[in-house]
Amino acid sequence: MLFTIAFRNILRHRRRTILSAITIAAGMLVFIFMNSLLTGADRAAIDNLISLNTAALKIQTQRYQNEQKTLPLTDGIANADSLRLKLLTDKRVKGATPRTRFLGQLSNYADAVPVIGIAIDERTDSTVFSLSRCIEGSYFSGDNRREIILGKRLAANLGVTAGDFITLYALTRYESRNADEFKIVGLLNTTDPALNRGAAYITLSAADDFIDREGLITELDVAVRERINYQTFVKDVKGVQQAVRRSNPGCAVDSYLEIAADYFKISRMKSMFGFIFMGFILLIAGVGIFNTVFMSVFERIREIGVLRAHGFKPAEITRLFLLEGVFTGVAGSTLGLAAGCVVNVFLVIYGYPIDKVAGDSIAGDLPVYGTIYGQWNIGTLAAVFLFGIAVAVLAGIIPARKAGSIEVNQALRFN
Amino acid sequence: MAILELSDLRKEYHKGDKIIAALQGVTLSIDKGEFLAVVGPSGSGKSTLLNIIGCLDSPSQGQVVYNGRKLGNMDERQLAEYRKSNIAFVFQSYNLIPVLTVRENVELPLVIERRLSVQQTRQRALAMIDAVGLSGMADRLPRELSGGQEQRVAIARALVKDPLLVLADEPTANLDSHTAEEIMSIMRKMNADKQTTFVFSTHDKMVESHARRVIVLKDGQIDKDERR
Repeated sequence: MLFTIAFRNILRHRRRTILSAITIAAGMLVFIFMNSLLTGADRAAIDNLISLNTAALKIQTQRYQNEQKTLPLTDGIANADSLRLKLLTDKRVKGATPRTRFLGQLSNYADAVPVIGIAIDERTDSTVFSLSRCIEGSYFSGDNRREIILGKRLAANLGVTAGDFITLYALTRYESRNADEFKIVGLLNTTDPALNRGAAYITLSAADDFIDREGLITELDVAVRERINYQTFVKDVKGVQQAVRRSNPGCAVDSYLEIAADYFKISRMKSMFGFIFMGFILLIAGVGIFNTVFMSVFERIREIGVLRAHGFKPAEITRLFLLEGVFTGVAGSTLGLAAGCVVNVFLVIYGYPIDKVAGDSIAGDLPVYGTIYGQWNIGTLAAVFLFGIAVAVLAGIIPARKAGSIEVNQALRFN
Repeated sequence: MAILELSDLRKEYHKGDKIIAALQGVTLSIDKGEFLAVVGPSGSGKSTLLNIIGCLDSPSQGQVVYNGRKLGNMDERQLAEYRKSNIAFVFQSYNLIPVLTVRENVELPLVIERRLSVQQTRQRALAMIDAVGLSGMADRLPRELSGGQEQRVAIARALVKDPLLVLADEPTANLDSHTAEEIMSIMRKMNADKQTTFVFSTHDKMVESHARRVIVLKDGQIDKDERR
């Protein structure tokens, strides 16, 4: 009978119920949208970090890692090629490629700017990194020419573009100065400011005589196979990391999680702000429900008196009004969840064109670009659904207790 | 045999600094099957007396004894329990639950009692609805009924659990004289058929004329106790 009365009262005050439910639903919808987008942006950012900069794993010598700010050309990985081939036998590993970083300077004959030179193996680099996806112009031709790919912002600062020649200065492995003219074959346009503003890519073979590389490899970058479930991917990365550490005790093996630790801290804060935002919206919804149940109590004081006169206990009256709060919460949460899922389907399939909406102003500030695709997070959806109901129940407690505490004779006399 | 004994009932209300004496030493004994009217001018203490008899209010002094059981020491929860099993109410403004149908309203006291099965509850409610002349209206909502019909439902709801006592606070005050007469006839019939004790307050001489005993209250005291 309690259920019947509570449920029919909800239907009786349709407009009020619908408004409260919509407020909850709106809060949930905004959160599901934001959460999906932020998770998607995070995933895209992680993908970009991995595919352009950090790789899933970076193997260096311990000494190189300790001195890496100066990019010394003294500590290379011994037997880098055999280690690379061994890595490729692990089913979790998608690719591995050697790189050698060095400090350099680019000059357009008028100005000179410092750059980080990155010598890559143009044949295997694409198994780990996706530079070619972000290049305007062309990739290395592969016939050992003096070719260079520059960050687009860097090229713009120097007033050069693809097809132009530029002079690269660097200290060789033996600390003598060297300079040579390179042809710019492509411009790298990513949203990673470090790459855009200060990276210059040449091939390992070009670096051989340019910096007297003599086979020196300062880092081995490893790609781990992608997984639909991000946590499985993380597990694989950590698994490979452990395996390499065990078999190469002299090496420092860092995953992108450690390399980009600061980014992940910011990401966690972003998620926290998302929850605070949802909490704020649902707080507003809670105030709405509080008000709705309170109004309902005052409108039905005589009814409360009648029920009490017939033997309803105060706790049963409290339960009756709490149930109305719960029904409103369930209705709002269900509506919010359904609407959130529909919006998310579009977000997952069609994505959100953040560059078109926010313009170029964000380029270089976020490690994402283009269209951000939503992500399904079943745990978050369930938590949000339960949170919506919990808010409704909590908001209904005070007015429901008030209803239970009304004196019978006063309630019956109430006009 | 007395089912209800009131001895030296007093009730005082505080209104600001003033103390209002609503009842000033009412002593009364009511037998099973009585059809009793409490009359008197406004402020004479009729409603206070009915509230105390109905366990909706407690006296400042004096004793209420139902079937030999003193109610003075009961807390709110025990009073609710006692009310649930023994006392029924008919209100001036019917006070049906608007979201429940006629049948559900009549079933309400039985559902609260949880004494009968769903089937028995339904059968008993439908029989009671028939008894008050509302056959065929069981599935209607209160808003679809006239005032007289609503009060019949209220009477059916009061009687469905076979209470010891039915308290009716001005049950015909909102009805026209013809409907009021009908309602009183139904109450008398129920009183005769089931030997249910009725105590009702009224201002209406016609309603008063149906009573077999009339208690006249004046300034919180029994002015006259007349048996007919």
